[in-house]
Amino acid sequence: MTQLMNENGIRCDGRRVDQLRNISIKVGVLKNADGSAYIEFGKNKILAGVFGPRDVHPKHMANQDSGILRCRYHMSPFSVTERKNPAPSRREIEISKVIKEALLPAVILKDFPRTVVDVFIEVLQADGGTRCAALDAASIALADAGIPMRDLVSACAAGKVADQIVLDINNEEDQEGQADMPIAYMPNLGKITLMQLDGILSPSEYQKCVQTGINGCKLVYEMQRKALMDKYFTNETQ
Amino acid sequence: MANSVILAQLKREQILELLKEGKRLDGRGLEDQRPLSIDVGVIPKANGSARVRLGDTEIVTGVKIQPDKPFPDLGDKGILICTAEILPLADPNAEPGPPSEEVIELARVVDRGIRETEMLDLHQLVLIENKSVIGIFIDSSITDAGGNLFDACSYASVAALLSCTVPKYEIKDEAPVLVEGVTSKPPIKTIPVSVTMARIGDHIIVDPSSYEEACMDSRLTITTNTEGNICAIQKGGIDGFTLEQVIRCSEIALSVGTKIRKQLEKLM
Amino acid sequence: MMETKRRYVIPGDVITTGPFRPEQNVYQEGDRIISTSVGISEIFDNAVRVIPLTGIYMPKTNDLIIGKVIGHSSLSWEFDINSCFVGFLPAQDVFGRDYSPTKDELKERLDKGDLVAARVANFDRSRDPLLTVQDRDLGKIESGELIEISPSKVPRLIGKRGSMIQTIEMATKAMITIGQNGWIVVSSEDPDGLLKAIEAIRMVDAQAHMPNLTERVKSMLGVELGDNNDTINE
Repeated sequence: MTQLMNENGIRCDGRRVDQLRNISIKVGVLKNADGSAYIEFGKNKILAGVFGPRDVHPKHMANQDSGILRCRYHMSPFSVTERKNPAPSRREIEISKVIKEALLPAVILKDFPRTVVDVFIEVLQADGGTRCAALDAASIALADAGIPMRDLVSACAAGKVADQIVLDINNEEDQEGQADMPIAYMPNLGKITLMQLDGILSPSEYQKCVQTGINGCKLVYEMQRKALMDKYFTNETQ
Repeated sequence: MANSVILAQLKREQILELLKEGKRLDGRGLEDQRPLSIDVGVIPKANGSARVRLGDTEIVTGVKIQPDKPFPDLGDKGILICTAEILPLADPNAEPGPPSEEVIELARVVDRGIRETEMLDLHQLVLIENKSVIGIFIDSSITDAGGNLFDACSYASVAALLSCTVPKYEIKDEAPVLVEGVTSKPPIKTIPVSVTMARIGDHIIVDPSSYEEACMDSRLTITTNTEGNICAIQKGGIDGFTLEQVIRCSEIALSVGTKIRKQLEKLM
Repeated sequence: MMETKRRYVIPGDVITTGPFRPEQNVYQEGDRIISTSVGISEIFDNAVRVIPLTGIYMPKTNDLIIGKVIGHSSLSWEFDINSCFVGFLPAQDVFGRDYSPTKDELKERLDKGDLVAARVANFDRSRDPLLTVQDRDLGKIESGELIEISPSKVPRLIGKRGSMIQTIEMATKAMITIGQNGWIVVSSEDPDGLLKAIEAIRMVDAQAHMPNLTERVKSMLGVELGDNNDTINE
């Protein structure tokens, strides 16, 4: 059993309670996808690709008044410690749904009736908090594809480890900690679009946890912003 | 957004005109491959991994190694399994779902290239004969489908294998137990290199791009080993080859293969 | 003359607050006007809009586009116009009002895979865009290579007063027809000129947002760098 926190409040990977893992994001990394992004969030390595708006197949799924959003979250067999069967698991299907519902409030699809925007996410290496990192990449891939959006979506998890509320749970903390709360947030509109909880929190811990998660989302937002700026506005000054 | 792409509606005649002068639309010579980059160790959690970019095609391959039961009748050999998936983000026409015949063929061709050349000495991967062996899974995720997936997938799989580390297991109570912190190099006997050629009219071109594949008559993938032998072949496409053409292709596969092998050898 | 204030924005960026008219690629939340796209925001004449740097082609009435025939009925042809919307060219646009052609007659004029230069006659979101070929220089394209670039890069490929496209045409002796939908047709009797023209177009697509693009394109084409520098910033 890993010691999750030492006497000085330092976590098992050397971080403080309010520290994010290292993040790096690149936009526009794929040739075929209309929009794409690659994120390294701690040891997570995740690729997101977007196609659309495009024709819907099968046709009966099309909405006459608005485009629809489809989302697929999938893990490569080599992404986890025990090799995973390539077929989608129930966990992947549930995560695909919550990610879609985290992005829906942000995308504006009423101008594209009878079309679909497809978001494809592939986890190449997993290390705790993949759904948040996946959202961070997907949201930029959507902007890269030119899908109109009300705001970006930024995501990060908070949780409880060794009786303390901490920011950005890693893999060991997820497995052996006391609570894990992934959160997604639209930073300019102040809206939470994904929230889940595994674990036990008192009401005051709960509030602190949500606030910590939102603060984390705001930090991630700055990195997403910089990644988009770097791709589109290099060599130019404001 | 996709970079400028010459759409598949391109008239074959125009491509043939250029081929008569020894030219291709992207400026390559008939036997030139597109730029190839191979990075290994990109997925540190896996036992081995590689990312290959060949022109517009990109593939990430991971090697996972864990104890397994041997195949019946093959109790003195470890297990080797290759899979491939064209991720839906790789291609606007890809659909999520069970693998298509195209990608199943791809995985099996890459598998045969590694297996038939005897790249790995599977006899060295036995823990308890007939009961417990080492299983090596080579899974390729195609992240950008830009033509000639066969070669890119093969290079990624071979590179991931060449650079992987094999965990050590000891036997306790007839079961394999992982020994932490001890690894060994994989038992490599030879380095297979795959070279794919397309025939358009009477011209043979190496490493077809997407639009060349769209108007090719037939395709030949030839895998050679370090000793200069030809070990695996797959013909694809709706048309055929003459005898002279298949012999010419084998010569090309050997010479281009030798060049690529130098790049792969550095990864060991 | 009112100054236009410009800024780089991403989706969610608040461009301004106050009594402004929200126009393309922005929306209003309370009194904040917010960008929906990655692009350049402009405030002018009490209106706010964003020029996007990415995205699929959204048809606009009067756009000149290149379309590819994907089917037909006896009443019209259907076109792929590189958008999520399919373009329709009514048979009477080609045959005239008084003539009712058969399906076969339509097929003979324009068949699947044919490329056409057309204008968007009409488009509102409730129906697919209506096309017309009733102008000089419109109609079936007999020969040439079809190349796709991002529609947002088309203004850069044209250049100020057509300077970029003219530079490329003159240096390569190729004829280039540009569709607002990001589809370009290049034809040339000289295979080398064809390749160079295609390369130049690819360069613009990849580097449209970077400065000194004109110099780099001219340098690649082997053209002398004159003082006629096109410095459009989109």
